[in-house]
Amino acid sequence: MTESFPVLLGVMAAAAFLCRVAGFTLMRFVPVTPRVEAALRATPLAVMAGITALAVQAGGWAEGLALASVVGLTLLLRSDVAAALLGVAVVAALRWGGL
Amino acid sequence: MRHECAPYGAVTRALFSLDGFRRGARDGVPLAVSIFAYGVGFGLVAAQAGFGVGKAVATSAAIYSGSAQLAAVNLLQSGEATLWALFATILVINARYLLFGAALQPWLWQAGPLRAYGSLLLLGDANWMLTMRRIRAGEADRAYLAGTGAPVTLGWLAGTALGTAAVSVLPRPEALGFDLMLACFAAGMMTAMAKTRADLLPVLVGAGAALGIFHWLGPAPAIIGAGLAGAAAAALLHRGAP
Repeated sequence: MTESFPVLLGVMAAAAFLCRVAGFTLMRFVPVTPRVEAALRATPLAVMAGITALAVQAGGWAEGLALASVVGLTLLLRSDVAAALLGVAVVAALRWGGL
Repeated sequence: MRHECAPYGAVTRALFSLDGFRRGARDGVPLAVSIFAYGVGFGLVAAQAGFGVGKAVATSAAIYSGSAQLAAVNLLQSGEATLWALFATILVINARYLLFGAALQPWLWQAGPLRAYGSLLLLGDANWMLTMRRIRAGEADRAYLAGTGAPVTLGWLAGTALGTAAVSVLPRPEALGFDLMLACFAAGMMTAMAKTRADLLPVLVGAGAALGIFHWLGPAPAIIGAGLAGAAAAALLHRGAP
């Protein structure tokens, strides 16, 4: 690798920027029918479920229990942010306890 | 096409106010805490790869994506990085942003091109999830997205700087549970967002697709695959007009 750091940085920044704007730009040419709208509405839920499922799979009991408690606490407290922060405390405590 | 009740409903030029920006910034603070910790984690890795504070912070500002930066630093460390390999790595790892941008487009485009593309510069996983959730709850101010990005950016850059500078004295973020923060936010927002039985479909399809694809192709395609599978399932089972 002989390129200087600013060149490397520029190439990496260009790739990251391309990903940020390309989907958005292409979507400008897709008419938003009710069916497309249903797909777009489902996307965040599916991505969130995917992130959660991968974290459960990659982790052990501590991670699984913490994420399950986030789901329960969100329903109980009606605040997803408070539940998420408590979930972090749960996993830290469980790991500290050796689980 | 105009849908009266939909959050994506068409308006000539949507609201983009300081008020909305502030609301987003306030909601973004808890996210910024987690991104700060993630930034510390990246800083620690960057320092071990021989990056100084300036180089690490410049990387965080230019790429602004933790997973892509970690992969890039790994590649640079291997000594086998070419410009094309770096470009392709970031493209693959950040491909989920194609989906994030597409999902935001009907709402964000109404702010006009300059504001829309400017806001996209501050787009990340956590504030995308937060903004999509708020759009569904009726958020009309398009400055909300940029607002959520402001504290997150500060947290990301400050965390990177601290992690790189104080590599020898800091505890690993894992010890405090911060590595699970994004997943915790995802689980919480998903629970809060799923209000009807129809919402369970993308949840189940997304989780199943992520696990299946991860098994064969690894984590980056798994997240994109989850989003695409959930979207496809919802489109296929959509009742009513095409």
